[in-house]
Amino acid sequence: MDDSFDLTLRTAVYRHFAATGRAPTLEAMRAVVGATSDEVQGGYRRLYAKRMLVPTADFASIRMAPPFSGIPTQHRATVSGTEYFANCAWDAFGVVAALGGTGDVFSRCEHTLEPLALHLTPAGPLPSGWLFHCVVPAAKWWNDIVFT
Amino acid sequence: MLFFRSEETLNDWCTATEHPRRPTATLPQLWQMAVAWYSNRLSPQARRPDANEIRQIFARIGLTDAFWDPQADKF
Repeated sequence: MDDSFDLTLRTAVYRHFAATGRAPTLEAMRAVVGATSDEVQGGYRRLYAKRMLVPTADFASIRMAPPFSGIPTQHRATVSGTEYFANCAWDAFGVVAALGGTGDVFSRCEHTLEPLALHLTPAGPLPSGWLFHCVVPAAKWWNDIVFT
Repeated sequence: MLFFRSEETLNDWCTATEHPRRPTATLPQLWQMAVAWYSNRLSPQARRPDANEIRQIFARIGLTDAFWDPQADKF
């Protein structure tokens, strides 16, 4: 398999997330790209090495295709009636940015658990007291991207 | 990567959880980060920005602390 296959696979994964809000099954990706399970899983390994996505531990599905999350999280976005899970606060905004720039973000203050609900447009959010904070410095984000 | 209601709630969380207090971004800055990273992510031509591009993105947004440098060894 070559770079062309990996590009086709990556595009298919992202299109699936965008269309459904959920991670694709191995069977779905096999059907879309016309490949065997081993070939799809090999593609997932290479795309992980390129930091394009994070497969599940068994390489049968996708844990993270940033900004999309393959599992439910506290960071959600709704765009055109479809609900998406995001990997983190940044990715909640990222889902809306990836899908055209207009949508709603739902999350919370990590300390008080106060809900955050924002309607985003291409102009971005209005200034507020809410903050974005990351414990891990940029140089180490991919040392453990799931924790980051 | 988390949201906090205010500087006070962030500081309280860092104290309670013993996590280090890092530089923050406002939500308008976070939106600019999201657009820079993800607005073309569904395109087959999408790729991660390289280190220099990451620095330029953060600098343009006003995030110039070494914390945001993808190759910094300060932290």
